[in-house]
Amino acid sequence: MDMNEIKEIFFQECEEQLAELESGLLKLNDGDRDPETVNAVFRAVHSIKGGAGAFGLDDLVSFAHVFETTLDCVRSNKLEPTQDVLKVMLKSADVLADLVTASRDGGGVDESRSRSLVKELEALAHGELPSSSGHDAPKPAAKAAPAAAPAAKVEPPKPSDDSGFQPIPFSFDGFGEEDEPAVEGSLYEVIFKPRRELYSKGNEAALLLRDLSRLGEMSINCDTDALPALDKMDPEASYFSWKISIRTTRSEDDIRAVFEFAEWDCDLEVKFAEEASSNDELPMVPVPFDLSILDDSSSVEEETANERGASEETVAAALSAAETASNVSRAARVAEKKESAAATAAAQNNAAAAAAGAGQTIRVDLDRVDRLINLVGELVINQAMLSQSVVENDATGTSAVNMGLEELQQLTREIQDSVMAIRAQPVKPVFQRMSRIVREVADMVGKSIRLVTEGENTEVDKTVIDKIAEPLTHMIRNAVDHGIETPEKREAAGKDPEGTIKLTAKHRSGRILIELADDGAGINRERVRQKAIDNDIIAADANLSDDEIDNLIFMAGFSTADKISDISGRGVGMDVVKRSIQALGGRISISSRPGYGSTFTMSLPLTLAVLDGMVVTVAGQTLVVPLTAIVETLQPEASAIHSFGANQRLISIRNSFCPLVDVGRVLNYRATQANPVEGVALLVESEGGGQRALMVDAIQGQRQVVIKSLEANYTHVPGIAAATILGDGRVALILDVDAVVAASRGQSMKPEMSLAATG
Amino acid sequence: MAAKKAGPASLKLAAVLDLNEASNLHGKLVSMRGSDLRIDASGVERVGVQCAQVLLAGVKAWEEDKKSLLVEKASDAFQKTMQLIGINNQNLVAKEI
Repeated sequence: MDMNEIKEIFFQECEEQLAELESGLLKLNDGDRDPETVNAVFRAVHSIKGGAGAFGLDDLVSFAHVFETTLDCVRSNKLEPTQDVLKVMLKSADVLADLVTASRDGGGVDESRSRSLVKELEALAHGELPSSSGHDAPKPAAKAAPAAAPAAKVEPPKPSDDSGFQPIPFSFDGFGEEDEPAVEGSLYEVIFKPRRELYSKGNEAALLLRDLSRLGEMSINCDTDALPALDKMDPEASYFSWKISIRTTRSEDDIRAVFEFAEWDCDLEVKFAEEASSNDELPMVPVPFDLSILDDSSSVEEETANERGASEETVAAALSAAETASNVSRAARVAEKKESAAATAAAQNNAAAAAAGAGQTIRVDLDRVDRLINLVGELVINQAMLSQSVVENDATGTSAVNMGLEELQQLTREIQDSVMAIRAQPVKPVFQRMSRIVREVADMVGKSIRLVTEGENTEVDKTVIDKIAEPLTHMIRNAVDHGIETPEKREAAGKDPEGTIKLTAKHRSGRILIELADDGAGINRERVRQKAIDNDIIAADANLSDDEIDNLIFMAGFSTADKISDISGRGVGMDVVKRSIQALGGRISISSRPGYGSTFTMSLPLTLAVLDGMVVTVAGQTLVVPLTAIVETLQPEASAIHSFGANQRLISIRNSFCPLVDVGRVLNYRATQANPVEGVALLVESEGGGQRALMVDAIQGQRQVVIKSLEANYTHVPGIAAATILGDGRVALILDVDAVVAASRGQSMKPEMSLAATG
Repeated sequence: MAAKKAGPASLKLAAVLDLNEASNLHGKLVSMRGSDLRIDASGVERVGVQCAQVLLAGVKAWEEDKKSLLVEKASDAFQKTMQLIGINNQNLVAKEI
């Protein structure tokens, strides 16, 4: 694995962390004050900073550092995460995302923006720092001087009681020259509670403590209360925890740095404590001597006799001192016991929740998944062929074979579903990107808008996710720019000045439904209608229903914005959105209530690898018509067919006329028009909302087919979206309904209209 | 390493008392309960917290049983780690003087 690959993994992880960061911040914004949420946010920034440091991405590191510092203030309750604070934080998250992107793809970022945010963040971090309160230890040691007077009470002595610790009140001068050069310095109190994971990840608490002891003069108190009886204990669990006081010239950050790699597998508290040692109720064991022997096993021999003697003395002294002090501390323990029990329970709860929350995942190259999906597709086809040939060759119907085949069929279907599920991804990342767009655009146009998302965990095929982002972005911009009114107008209309855009995803009958609703002014039908008349889209005297007017906005060349703004209305209209949705095999519709807002509803297939289709026969050929396009099927009667012009025909359905499209003729399967009465008409909904009746010879049935790209294997064929292989091993073509309908109107078949069928 | 039939049993600790050894050590201690035990820590080069946990639990168990458990010939590494992590149970740090 070379450096680039590692870097690539880092960036992938960054993306996940950024998503985590944003969702955490949004949760805070909604009033969530769970410390775990704050921690998750902090953790995300911290991890990005750590990784970026390893790759020398200095811009990223420096910004992340400032961000982290401010978040730390929130974490330690020095800074109340108000809406204003969170606004800055969310912006910072956006900048952080930009920096990550810039680091990965090159290119610059808006320097002035990040600089001003750095200032804002720093102001937040410093502005509210209480200058003299012992518990809110100012960060660096420089500031940590005697300001913190009340620290003498040394934080509620947490979970320290019973048995394990004995006080050792002797001092140990003359040793460890290198380790504690300074007797002066600040006194810190560290509470360190490793969790089981710390050990299982190969960390060793003893080594962490050794590293800590090198920072200065350290006294330690091991809390062994949690240790169960020998026969009940789990030898690999974590029972010990420590309370350490350390006098060092280093800063609190340096102390935390010792635990950097274990930070998330232990409970760690570092506090600045002034001259507290004398009234500390919990006497501790000093750890003053050279611990180099513990560095690694080979150094044992290098120990000098001198040091050995010294350590023996230490122990001897420790022993005698232990007895006296244990009596003193016993009294204090009882009171603390309750507290500690509660604390332990809480810690365990947290740990359990964290463990449950993080599912196990692996990262797999998309190509591999696609190959698997392809193979499963082949398997499905093969299975269908096999069962068909058995049925054909075995008229007697040997039950054992048939039963086996049925089981095989079920298994393949199950395998197919599971494989498809691998590609399925929650829409969450796309939705999260939208919240950034809402923020930015709303800022630009001076509106106050809240994005509410629902059903982010709804899963859909990755291809669909990738392709839905762009049209969705466009629609969101539209909603912010045109849909939601300005705060003044909203207030005048008696609405909450803050607008709401609601983005929902849900599963509906094998498709995913994405709804985008705003509570803005709704569609101005008069203006839409006028605009459509001006642009020659409709006749001036056309009589349109409200619904039809609303749907006019999907017509090409339509934009109601009076002024061309920076955000939307760049000539790219809703027609493009509709086209991209249709290219995904989806549909889009709008419903609007003037004064109450508009709702766009998109219905998309869950996957582009399989398709529910209606298998039909046209002029001896087998074709597949996507089921999503079909509204209804009917058997035309001679009385319902009407000629129109030279060779156009209409079919009358429930008192309305619908153009009849002879598929065989359009695709040049036959030279003459078929007799509609002998065939079946499929009523389909085509681009622009109009209905057409596709004429086919016969319906063979409905089937789920595996889509095979024609472009990849052959070349694009107008009127055909893709191909599939049927149970009898023959290739069937999947009809591109819109292209066929367009061709029937005399337009050439547009290649870009084809279904995006490659899964 | 195994317990002797008569007199105090003895147990020689492995050189590396890390996470992997913790279960092992735990198993040995559990199987040796009920008789006096002398633990030879002379060969110990590295001690992890989890083995310390097991040893301390052992000490407590022996106390409960009213049997003696003594650590003998503790190596430097053993002693220092015990002190480093703040364990100063007499039985664990006792040694031949």
